[in-house]
Amino acid sequence: MLNTNQKVEESYDVVVIGAGNGGLTATTDLARQGIKVLLIEQHNLPGGFATSFVRGRFEFETSLHELNSWGPDDNKGGVRNLLEGKYGLEIEFIPIPEAYRLIITQKGEEIDITLPFGIENFVSAIEKAVPGSREGLNNFFQIAEECNAAFDYIGKMKGKPDQSVLFKEFTNFLRTAAYSASEVQLALDIPQKAIDIMSAYWCYLGLPLNRINFTIFAMMLNSYFSRGAYIPRKRSNEFTSALDLRIRELGGKILYNTRVEKILVKDGKVKGIETSKGDKINTNHVIANISPTLVYNNLIYPKSEVPEIAYKDVNARIHGLSAFVVYLGLNASPEELGFNEYSYFIMETANTGKIYESWSKLKAPLGQATVCLNVANPECSPPGTSILYITTLFRPEVWYEVKQEDYVEIKNKIATELIDQFERATNIKINDHIEEIEVATPITFARYTRTYNGVIYGYELESWDSLLPRFMMMNEDNYINGLEFCGGFWRNAHGYSSSLASGNLAAMLTLAKLMKRDD
Amino acid sequence: MNKNENEKFIITVNSKSPSKDIIAFTKLVSERKKRIEKASSKPITSDPINELARTLHPERLFLIISEIRDETKTTKTFKLVADPASTTKQLAYFRPGQYLSLKVEVNGVIITRPYSIASSPNEALKGFYEITIKKEEHGFLTHHIWDNWKVGTKIISSGPEGFFFYDPLRDSKQIVGIAGGSGITPFRSIAKSIIDNTIDAKLTILYGSSDQKDIIYFNEFKNIESQNPEKIKVVYILSCEEISLEGCELGFITADIIEKYSTVSNSSFFICGPQVMYNFVEKELQRFNLPKKQIRREAFGEIKDIINYPDFPQDLAEKSFELEVIMGNVTKKIPSLATESVLVALERANLTPPSKCRSGECGFCRSHLISGNIYVSPISDWRRSADKKYNFFHPCSSYPISNLKIDVPRHVI
Repeated sequence: MLNTNQKVEESYDVVVIGAGNGGLTATTDLARQGIKVLLIEQHNLPGGFATSFVRGRFEFETSLHELNSWGPDDNKGGVRNLLEGKYGLEIEFIPIPEAYRLIITQKGEEIDITLPFGIENFVSAIEKAVPGSREGLNNFFQIAEECNAAFDYIGKMKGKPDQSVLFKEFTNFLRTAAYSASEVQLALDIPQKAIDIMSAYWCYLGLPLNRINFTIFAMMLNSYFSRGAYIPRKRSNEFTSALDLRIRELGGKILYNTRVEKILVKDGKVKGIETSKGDKINTNHVIANISPTLVYNNLIYPKSEVPEIAYKDVNARIHGLSAFVVYLGLNASPEELGFNEYSYFIMETANTGKIYESWSKLKAPLGQATVCLNVANPECSPPGTSILYITTLFRPEVWYEVKQEDYVEIKNKIATELIDQFERATNIKINDHIEEIEVATPITFARYTRTYNGVIYGYELESWDSLLPRFMMMNEDNYINGLEFCGGFWRNAHGYSSSLASGNLAAMLTLAKLMKRDD
Repeated sequence: MNKNENEKFIITVNSKSPSKDIIAFTKLVSERKKRIEKASSKPITSDPINELARTLHPERLFLIISEIRDETKTTKTFKLVADPASTTKQLAYFRPGQYLSLKVEVNGVIITRPYSIASSPNEALKGFYEITIKKEEHGFLTHHIWDNWKVGTKIISSGPEGFFFYDPLRDSKQIVGIAGGSGITPFRSIAKSIIDNTIDAKLTILYGSSDQKDIIYFNEFKNIESQNPEKIKVVYILSCEEISLEGCELGFITADIIEKYSTVSNSSFFICGPQVMYNFVEKELQRFNLPKKQIRREAFGEIKDIINYPDFPQDLAEKSFELEVIMGNVTKKIPSLATESVLVALERANLTPPSKCRSGECGFCRSHLISGNIYVSPISDWRRSADKKYNFFHPCSSYPISNLKIDVPRHVI
């Protein structure tokens, strides 16, 4: 029962579903062009995973560890160019002081090393730890640079590159595009220990080195080490709320607490949407910041309008991982506790495949990525306190059999093991300092965003389904006229930078269709 | 690429057959097409993770009163079960200490009130929640409840909410509950959970009442204590003139009493009661100079005497203001008082705004302040830092001190 007079019943040029990173940039772009656009979000906040929450005297970042596409004044990244340059938002980003501290605790293979940003510095630090690494690493980054240039070119050609240009200009890109990261790393003769050290960010992509596509892995590393990493001073809510306001200023409308229940389709064309609030909205264009999995299986109405190929597409993809986060508000300062680094990758084995396997068991996995927010952002919590996030990943299936009455006990047990794992690896004692604790599981991520199965990492990025084949098929992967996608499940893959960029692209493609109609 | 082609490093990944590197590239798209073509065309019909999320955190529960018990002259316990005619098929498990936000229609106006769940999580699995409500002399909601709630009355509720619960990773195994009046209700849930081993801890409750006849659950706690003397202890502190109850303390919950019945340095204190009790007890606790982590308090609902807060602009206390409210398709001008929260003004105008905790804490009513000024008391200000920067606010803990223009999310009751 809703106050019926609050219902929205009108026509929009475009309806964007989901105010995650992609939905926000898509809506902003369309509103900037004077398009009549409506953004609908089921939660009461913008951002999707990109938000924050308050417990006691702490404000926790929900999911962001660091952004590699902000960059310094003299080397601005894509996200900075978009948010600051194009949209004119005034958001303060803070640089992360060092890349990471990697601790591998496996007996006989122990590593404890802290690595700097800057490709030169990074390569030198690894060369120092593992002599004989330099040449392979330099070649790695040279190819990574070429991958970037190749993608710029493919983007410019709208997914239809001139093959002869590719062969001539981007040979190394072509020669590596179909391989996994580890296949290329071995071909570059990088010593195994150097591979272990250089690859810590692999968990941000959520696939072990022998399965993750080389191109995306190399481009990610290149972005981190050439530009450094940044975080927003007031958590992700700072830029997602700024985008919300910019949309309103530009005349776009946003409806929170409103879930789209149907995307109405007739004769293969989008005709409108219906919401949980009883809104009936006519539109010929929908941008879904939702997985194709949910759109095709749950939202398209009537179901007879879902082409068989759409189901096949979704079923062919490998649904990625969900996360498990322990948010800790500690009642001692980083100095008192002994936090010197922002980012800690703690692995009980150097074997990324084994760590991935450990995400399929309902116990503390073999690896965690942990962040002490205060090291980069000293004012993020009151004096004498600190904020720590311990993050690991899980295959969602692991949680299928959990009963509601066992849920808290299970998550607390895993959280306890992760805290112990951190204490053992770093010798930093945190157990007695916990003033606030919140533990998020795949169920929590599903609760707030309704993402399919709690997945936060979109579809897995094996070579056959990595960026390149996705983009080269971008003219044949839309199965319903008037429907575009953005967000972590779409072509650009998951992650903040990719999602923000994907909304930008979805808006461009939709705009092109709107223009065509007007002709 | 500015590099001289001759100097450029060319990689070979497949050393046995270098030409395969390029062939592998040219096959990427066809490989992807082949995989899609070969995949099943069966729709995906289940999503177990979202199902569990909705079981634990239902958007709303449709309940029906199955039993009403008198606890004292002014308090009743309502037993709530799933309404068999509704979509609610099972009750959500919860953490002892959490509350339900009930939605009640009074004289045509829909309002919400948070009530701690007094029963245990295991009883939710058996199919019921219990809430205990005290009739307030001037509370128009409780008068409505007394007049209208019968066995069979249907109640719409949120799922279990709130952060007032014992957490084994954070809290001491020695819990001291400090309760005032109907603030005893979450401790009944916690006590029940301790004796059925859901919680591994001990509980001492310091329970302040004005008189013996106002003590809620007296006989029930006597039983619980006698059967679990190692785990549960209740101390009654009565503020009446003379001792009417054997073994009770007279007066208020002072630092001396707290020290007498607990190992202060080694306990986690959970406080739940009326606002005046918080003010008193928190001052008493200051003597022990405890770390913040050892003191947790339940959100106490709306601040009713906002004019008594020293930084509230006193000259505006008698003022009323106009709110211009945008909700979905509606823009409406409504009256409001400086001494009443924006949420109350919205409810009175029957705009059915979202709300749960009514304490500023949960953020469910988060709205945008387009123009105008609000007063937010520091003790109920849980806004995110960027929300302050961008003028997002929580209507339940904000008071208008000028005319306002606001954008409020819609809410389905």
